[in-house]
Amino acid sequence: MPPTQRQRRQAAESDEDEDVHQRLDSPADDGNSEVDHMHGVERGETSQLIKKLVRYALACEYSRTPIRRDGIKERVLGIHGREFKKVFAGAQKQLRATFGMEMVELPTKDRSLLTVEQKRKATKSQSQKEPTSNSYMLVSVLPEHLRVSDIIAPSKVQSADGEAAYIGLYTMLIAIITLSGGELSDPRLRRYLTRLNAAENMPSSNPNNENAPSEKTELVLQRMTKQGYLVRVADNKNAGDDDAITWHVGPRGKVEVDNEAIAAVVREVYGGGRPNEDLERKLQASLKVKERKPPRSAAADRAPATIQEDEEEEDAEGNDEPEPGPSTRRGRRG
Amino acid sequence: MEEEWEPPVPAGYNDANRAFIQAFMARGTLTFPEGQKLVAAILSATEGETVDPQSITQDTFAGFVRTAREAVEPLDYDIRSSRDQLRNGERIWAFINAHSDPATQMATTRSPEEVAYIKRLMDLLFDEYNTVRMEVMAVDEGQALKASRPSKRRESQHVNGEDEEGQPSTTASDRGLKHSEVLSLLSSLVAEGWLEKSRAGFYSLSPRALIEMWSWLVATYNDDSPSARDWQRIKFCESCKEIVTYGQRCSERDCTVRLHDICEDRYWRTRRGEKKCPKCETEWTGNHFVGERAITSRQAYQRGRGGRANGNGSGRRSDLEEAVAAQQEAAADDDDEDMAEA
Ligand SMILES: [Zn+2]
Ligand SMILES: [Zn+2]
Repeated sequence: MPPTQRQRRQAAESDEDEDVHQRLDSPADDGNSEVDHMHGVERGETSQLIKKLVRYALACEYSRTPIRRDGIKERVLGIHGREFKKVFAGAQKQLRATFGMEMVELPTKDRSLLTVEQKRKATKSQSQKEPTSNSYMLVSVLPEHLRVSDIIAPSKVQSADGEAAYIGLYTMLIAIITLSGGELSDPRLRRYLTRLNAAENMPSSNPNNENAPSEKTELVLQRMTKQGYLVRVADNKNAGDDDAITWHVGPRGKVEVDNEAIAAVVREVYGGGRPNEDLERKLQASLKVKERKPPRSAAADRAPATIQEDEEEEDAEGNDEPEPGPSTRRGRRG
Repeated sequence: MEEEWEPPVPAGYNDANRAFIQAFMARGTLTFPEGQKLVAAILSATEGETVDPQSITQDTFAGFVRTAREAVEPLDYDIRSSRDQLRNGERIWAFINAHSDPATQMATTRSPEEVAYIKRLMDLLFDEYNTVRMEVMAVDEGQALKASRPSKRRESQHVNGEDEEGQPSTTASDRGLKHSEVLSLLSSLVAEGWLEKSRAGFYSLSPRALIEMWSWLVATYNDDSPSARDWQRIKFCESCKEIVTYGQRCSERDCTVRLHDICEDRYWRTRRGEKKCPKCETEWTGNHFVGERAITSRQAYQRGRGGRANGNGSGRRSDLEEAVAAQQEAAADDDDEDMAEA
């Protein structure tokens, strides 16, 4: 991958970073001496790339867009493409040390974009290794007690209520799609939205703002799609036919809203929060979730999606969906 | 090798500090009461017993902010505070990028067309709808939509400081955004806390965006050349010295004295109640406005609104646009006069 001219260009452009070198050489970072031994690029340059990657990762997370390997190469590394591994590792360290976060790979999105027929085939060969998505998102690595909702969760920029409503809606939609076998036709989605009283409008990002308490459903769906909670697939062959549009769970949706979270929604909505053997059987059949344990104290009054446990065990049992970890927003961990 | 490298963190830095930063970044801004709740929740979690938010002092909160600031400074982030020009001037702390212009700030995760649109939107807010006559610094939806595609007329006209930079928005490849894409972008900018939408339907920069971008705004929209006239696009409050995008102005058109509503009482008290402009000594009317009231306080606007339901009906929209269009024409004539005078 690295042709020699790359190194030459690298040398030519390195003086751009002059001011940054000086800043990084300040007495504050005494842990930096080891970096001297890094080969290939200069120590200050590597630190600079690490900083750029950390900032890139945080910016992506802020707008809930995936951190893509291509994006890292294009926007962070530039001509230093071959430093990927080193810079990525350094950024992970910095993210953990300063922010208590790390990047985890997102599940591949390809499967949800396959046609029904392709999908059936793919399901048959479940055991085969999931292809890599080359996309990441940030998750919290803080201990459990610091990932509870009143510290991290629903309270994004505008209002806690708006964020909570938004999380509630995408969690519900992801639950419906998953329980429908991973895809939902557009008319069926619309029927569900009507039932949720959200066919036209949904709560806005700040429902307490009397000027704009609600937002057009289409805009909210677009945002959910853009942020990777949902995937909208239009089948061109039947253009004009409503059924040609189907909805799937996006990669971020898979990480943030896992099967346990979906089960929690279903229990909440259909079980009225009470134990229900029939429902539990169905949930186990369709989601392979654990049988419900006696409710824990905090779980009941929290957003349903935060109910979560035993993920490691599930992974060990060969769950084919990778569950890389928690979301910074919702305070969970895998 | 790199495995041994440890990123520098402040002394005594721990998971409580990390949780504070995570929560701060997720929220974007914090008020003191929000900070009290947050710090209480973190201390409750780390100490294992319930901590009352009311027991969190300014000092404790400031300590968390200081440590967080120290931790993120090497990464070119910062935490700064400012008072909200609306909402009783509540002080807010914002987690921001230290060196920010809208392009680098928003470019990371947006398409080049969206970034170019945001730049056009900034030009609308701080150039086109921010004239000597009308310092609106806000746009309604119709105006925001009109900027969905690059306009040659506008972009040939340069605001201070842009000429050398070769703005990407002027490239021929920028086909702009569809109206639906603009609406979607605006809604996500509101959701992410960059823009605010007012009751009257105007979009303006949020307090957080202003904290982060005021110095960029000055560098981009003000003219500091010796030949520049007194009036500048970005102006600051006579009392608190912070940027004014919503407040009052001196009724003398070319005078640059501005005052926040939230600073007014305190300021006139220091002037022993003498309500005169401190610079040109013109009587201070209190009804010459910066911000959307530059439009909404006008008779034309209020006539358009009269008797209508206070909703988002399309009827009101066109009235609003008419009123604004009339004012814009007046403002444009005005600009021409000024050019002739100069
Ligand atoms: Zn002021
Ligand atoms: Zn004056």
